[in-house]
Amino acid sequence: MSKPNDLVLGTLDLLLLKILALEPLHGWAIGLRLRSISDDVLQVSEGSLYPALHKLEQEGWITAEWKQTENNRRAKFYSLTRLGRKQLESETANWERLSSAISRVVQLREA
Amino acid sequence: MRIEHWWFTLPLRLRSVFRRNRVEQELAEELQFHLEHKIEEGLAAGLSPQEARYRAMRAMGGLEQRKEEMREMRRVHWLTDFLDDFKYALVSLRRTPGLAALVVVTLALGIGMTTTPFSMVDALIFRPYPVPRPHEVVNLVSTSRDKDLDAFSYREFLDLRDHAKSYDGMIAHSNAGAVGFSAAPGATPKVKGGMMVSANYFDVLGVTPRPGRGFQPNEDKVPGRDAVVVLGPDFWKNEFASDPAVIGRRVLLNGKEFTVIGVAPESFPGLQIFSRPDFYLPLSMAGVFSGSPRKEFFEDRDDRALNVKARLKSGVTLGQARTELAGIAQTFEREFPAANRDRGALVRTQFEMRTRDDDVNWKFSVIFMILALAVLLVACTNVAGLLLSRARTRTREISVRLALGAGRFRLIRLLLTESLMLSLLGGLGGLAVGYAGIQLLSNFSIPTELPVTIPFRMDGRVLLASVAISLASAFLCGLAPALQSTRGDLANGLKSADVDLPGKRRLWGRNALVVAQVAMSLMLLTAAFLMARSFQHSLVGGIGFAKDHLLIARFDPRLVQYDAEESRRFYELLAARVREAPGIVGAAYTQNPPLGFSGFESLAFVPEGFQMPRDRESFTSAMDTVDEAFFETMGIRILRGRGFLASDDEDAPRVAVVNEQFAKRYWPNSDALGKRVRLDGRVGPPVEIVGIAQTINYRATGERPIDFAYLPFAQHPRERRVLVLRSSGDPLERVEPLKEIVRALAPNLPISEVRSYEDLYRYHAVEGPQVAIRLVGTMGGVGLLLAIAGLYGLVAFNVSRRTREIGIRMAIGAGPFAVLRLVMGKGLALVGLGTAIGLAMGFAVEQLMNSMLFDTGGVDFVAYLVIGPLMVLVTLLAAYVPARKASHIAPTLALRCE
Repeated sequence: MSKPNDLVLGTLDLLLLKILALEPLHGWAIGLRLRSISDDVLQVSEGSLYPALHKLEQEGWITAEWKQTENNRRAKFYSLTRLGRKQLESETANWERLSSAISRVVQLREA
Repeated sequence: MRIEHWWFTLPLRLRSVFRRNRVEQELAEELQFHLEHKIEEGLAAGLSPQEARYRAMRAMGGLEQRKEEMREMRRVHWLTDFLDDFKYALVSLRRTPGLAALVVVTLALGIGMTTTPFSMVDALIFRPYPVPRPHEVVNLVSTSRDKDLDAFSYREFLDLRDHAKSYDGMIAHSNAGAVGFSAAPGATPKVKGGMMVSANYFDVLGVTPRPGRGFQPNEDKVPGRDAVVVLGPDFWKNEFASDPAVIGRRVLLNGKEFTVIGVAPESFPGLQIFSRPDFYLPLSMAGVFSGSPRKEFFEDRDDRALNVKARLKSGVTLGQARTELAGIAQTFEREFPAANRDRGALVRTQFEMRTRDDDVNWKFSVIFMILALAVLLVACTNVAGLLLSRARTRTREISVRLALGAGRFRLIRLLLTESLMLSLLGGLGGLAVGYAGIQLLSNFSIPTELPVTIPFRMDGRVLLASVAISLASAFLCGLAPALQSTRGDLANGLKSADVDLPGKRRLWGRNALVVAQVAMSLMLLTAAFLMARSFQHSLVGGIGFAKDHLLIARFDPRLVQYDAEESRRFYELLAARVREAPGIVGAAYTQNPPLGFSGFESLAFVPEGFQMPRDRESFTSAMDTVDEAFFETMGIRILRGRGFLASDDEDAPRVAVVNEQFAKRYWPNSDALGKRVRLDGRVGPPVEIVGIAQTINYRATGERPIDFAYLPFAQHPRERRVLVLRSSGDPLERVEPLKEIVRALAPNLPISEVRSYEDLYRYHAVEGPQVAIRLVGTMGGVGLLLAIAGLYGLVAFNVSRRTREIGIRMAIGAGPFAVLRLVMGKGLALVGLGTAIGLAMGFAVEQLMNSMLFDTGGVDFVAYLVIGPLMVLVTLLAAYVPARKASHIAPTLALRCE
């Protein structure tokens, strides 16, 4: 089976931003959340998750903080910044345009 | 958005750089946290601890690779790498301190050589006007058939100002020249330099006089009404000790009372390169300062004395401004055909104004710059050679790094960092060298009536240029070795510390370096030699007249408000008294002595009966106004006809004396004696040529002969004159008696300049050229030294590389001579090639110097005959020393050598 996470290239940023828009999470939890919301369809390889998070952090869209988890362990929690919220809005808008365009194409009836 | 972005991200970047360990640790911790969860997940699914761990690692796809990816996301990779390289370069340079020092010194010389010429080029061509937004300021010039950089008249300026739409303000200024300044009535005036300006001068330039104020708009409206003056910052400091209470004070300028209204700020020393105005005066006061007696400044449309500048409106292109101005010039021509026939007008940028064709200073500086860059090139090739041989000994180190997976690009960067450090250090040393050069130039003083500002200095721009040049030379001398040493064949490189890589390309590079060095330094030496020779030539050839026992003294009776008649009487009395004084054998007046610094007036004339070329209205020639004793006193021979006589007065027919060059040019086939010319174009009075004088040096020693004409003072009154005294003893002993005589005749009249003619001559003909020759000679010397070192290095390198081969050859019977030939053969060929190219380049430089500076009359073969063989000899010696060593190698030793 081909990797489902490559389904739509470049949407990983959008997904991560969206997940973090709901609540601050650490890397492991983000991976779990991604899997559970998307019913395992969008499984992101663990290897690419962390570089992606670091990229978002360096862009200033998310910010990180070391906090205790419920199991009393130190973990790096990411949360959305103001800049990230703007970015999320614009990426969401983009995505909607793109997906509606694609679905229109897909729904074309064969003549 | 961008700013906000940086606000968020900059702290992160800084943290990545400065808290590297912390960041690394967090990286590891974060991944560790993930791994632990993953392992727990595996354990929960029933895997053994081993299996769970293995699965977790595999899911991650390589821990280190991930880390590297994450580091890359931090975007400061390049910087942290650079810091690593920097540390490493330091360590590796410390390992070879001798070589590093040699490289730094070489680069210091090379870079330092460029600093001085750059400060010259910058001051003369590029340094912007000291005003806000200087690039907007353009020059408006009037053009005629014969001149393409003429000034405008007052009336023309007013019309331009009112009709041109392309500008945010247009200003006019005119040099008031030497002005008599006295701080209080009764004091003997001092000679100072004034600048007449339009009232909007400071406003348009964006300069605010402080303390006090600038001119008000109505202060240049009415001729002679507003006697106000703005002081220059230096003048304020020197004459008034920066006293703010000077505002409102009355001072005397040329005997007229002026009120001080302001002081120009320190940041604005004026727009001129070589002078700083002591004070600024409104144009409306022109009557007090300027003018040719025949013209009416405020009325005559052809009294062109104003330099016009304007600030371009934003959005208006130079092309649009030019088109508009051309249109206005056409209107002028239509409405005022008498004054504006065949006249146009042009907008010129600061750069165009400064690189005008008739100015020799900037050309000098450009030639210096070219020569200096040649030295720098030699230095860089030398350093490249040194680095190359250093890189060779590091073959193994580099091969190991390549084998361990270092990217070639990464290694090249490392090596470039090393050369960057070297050249920055070199640049630092270069600044010291350059500073010394600039000092040499600044100490050169020019004997003029008004002080000449030496504009060359070590400022931020020069510093910046030096840094840029250092960076450029880092690339220049570092790139080739870096490329070459990282190209190699790994297997071979690992085997031995010092092995030759196959292929001829690497040697090709070094050979090219040596050829370039020999050629460059040969060219430099040729240039220096040519300059010295033409200088020598000018000294031997002489200036055409006896320069000893002469004293010159400059007067301007307008400084004490004498009118034309009073001036004439003063000069008459002065000459009579001086001639009676003891120790004086002759006295004469001239407007400008030959080889003086003031520049001659130019004479527009039409030879009678001469068919003028269609595109010319008149010819021009340099001229001087002199009295009847001039030729005899100066010792300038009259070849045919006569000099001026006392009878050539205002009522007598107009006469002129021309030099031989002039006579030959316009009457090549007949005698110019008795011919007539009309002055001021076609319309002026006819003048008869009554004498032909010998051609002497007028503007510079060793100059090519120029046309020159003399007119008598009696027919062409001039108020500023120079008295020339011929003494029987030391001319300087006549200074005090002369002052006595002047004081008796006109108690307050200053002698604005008094010196022996020898003095003038020495400054002009000896010291100036000597500075030039010293500069170029130093460049040539440094170039030669570098070339010798380079060649020596190459041959020594060859010898060491081929030690074993030489040993084998000698073991099987080759004699020392054969070895010598083997090793030196290449050197010989390179020197030969370099010499040939260098000679060709030297020839090109000679052509350039001849066309730009002076004419030595054809090709100076002696230079090539001296320099060429000398160069070959010296460079061969450089090759011979290491080669001889090779021929004395004991075969047994050589064979044992690894």
